[in-house]
Amino acid sequence: MDPRSFWPRWLRIIVSVAIAVYLLAVVLPPLAGPPPASLLANQLIQPFRPFIGAVALGHGYRFFAPNPGPGHSFRWTVQRPDGTHASGTIPDAATDWPRLLYHRRFMLPEKISALVPLPGAPPEVVAEAKREWQPLVKDLAAHLLTREGGSRIKLVLVEHYLPLPEEVIEGRAGEDLAIPLGTYAWPQKGDR
Amino acid sequence: MSEPLENRSPAGINAWLHDWATGWNHFWFTPADPLPLAVIRIAAGLLLAWSMAVWLLDVDAFFGEGGWQQPYKVWRSNDQPWQWSWYFAAASPTGTRVLCGITLIAAVLLAIGLATPLAAIVAFAGLVSAVNRAPLNVFGLDDMLGLLLIPLMIGPAGATLSVDSLLFAGRGAAPSVRAAIAIRLVQVQLCIVYLFSGCGKLLGASWWEGTALWGAAANVQYRTLDLTWLARHPLLTNAITLTTLFWEVAYAALVWPRLTRPLVLAMAVAVHLGIGLAMGMMEFGLAMMVANLAFVPATWFRAIVFRRAESSRSDSAHSVSQATLKVVS
Repeated sequence: MDPRSFWPRWLRIIVSVAIAVYLLAVVLPPLAGPPPASLLANQLIQPFRPFIGAVALGHGYRFFAPNPGPGHSFRWTVQRPDGTHASGTIPDAATDWPRLLYHRRFMLPEKISALVPLPGAPPEVVAEAKREWQPLVKDLAAHLLTREGGSRIKLVLVEHYLPLPEEVIEGRAGEDLAIPLGTYAWPQKGDR
Repeated sequence: MSEPLENRSPAGINAWLHDWATGWNHFWFTPADPLPLAVIRIAAGLLLAWSMAVWLLDVDAFFGEGGWQQPYKVWRSNDQPWQWSWYFAAASPTGTRVLCGITLIAAVLLAIGLATPLAAIVAFAGLVSAVNRAPLNVFGLDDMLGLLLIPLMIGPAGATLSVDSLLFAGRGAAPSVRAAIAIRLVQVQLCIVYLFSGCGKLLGASWWEGTALWGAAANVQYRTLDLTWLARHPLLTNAITLTTLFWEVAYAALVWPRLTRPLVLAMAVAVHLGIGLAMGMMEFGLAMMVANLAFVPATWFRAIVFRRAESSRSDSAHSVSQATLKVVS
């Protein structure tokens, strides 16, 4: 079966160019990021940005790479105007059902944790990173305050300890790492 | 043995370029049976419908004004004006629900193959809108659904196993170039995904050391099946980790030869079923397995789908003839 007999040459040329351009748009995002990535890939991707953004092709495809790391969650405590408290975690395996809902919520601490430096990082790194993660955490805090009818919320990022095989065999477990993300409240009258 | 390029005459180079053009034409423009595309359409439509149903469970938090992320902040952090989402235009909770519901309906229509081309476009628009509105809540499942829906928009995905094919029976499900392009796109995209996923793993020491599987098994946040017994079997952990790494890196090369393809696809089922069952990401595992269906020959699907249909037809014909026989006797 000669494939040239089904579509005319001019159509095959046009479609071939379209296929090549499309496949470049699939290949360039994982080449251009996440780091490490080359300057060349980052320059080549520039003309493709409109198309990649429009069809949501900007993926890295680095599943469980470079290393499967520890899991993360948010621990929150809300204080209500009447003095009562509520608390919870994101995600919450006990209530987030079906599992896909759990996973979508689980992505919040997983993705934000990538922006939060570990305790002991240099102050300039901490300050720089805070400019990135705090706007995201503020939205999260506002959502939880509204949902829980609270006036003040404290948020903590928890990095869950990933035990070594020998620790599991010996029945030992390490401590989870708690990284405070701050306390947030609705602005009062007179606040700037 | 082929001649080194630098030693070739201009005529030899022309012949070599001609071979390339012929190979390219054969690869992309040889008409293909649309049946595998239809099977992918049904599975991808069902997965997207399920995904949209789950988005709807907490739709205000994911896509609403007061959600996990304020829309104007997502808008600003996206690559504007390209990274669009129709949820940015939804001014009310009702509007958000309607848009989410439209995507759900489009996904169901895609699965059953009714108004398939339109359903594929609307479903894709809904998926892109969700991804660009809630970037902190999406993961590999959404990446893969996007990569499946684009070929489904291009190819004749509703040509068979669809309501459309019943309503417009005259159109038939003949092999077509569009079906070939769509299937080839799924195949090539999948190779790209595995190649980058595998290369990304090569950056990690735990994959070289053969302990990466332990990192996944010991992570309580992911765990749905307790695999911590692997702690007592480090060599088994090494073997599974290294096999997975080699399979993923080599997928793009080994999935094409007929000799290795069944092994590569069997490994894909094992890996993705394992991730689905042990790490609670069944939808992601299914999406990857659905994409792998693009490498299953159409004759297999034809044998499974239509032999069953034929056998049920022959069963019913047999029972009719028996009924006739009873009357005669």
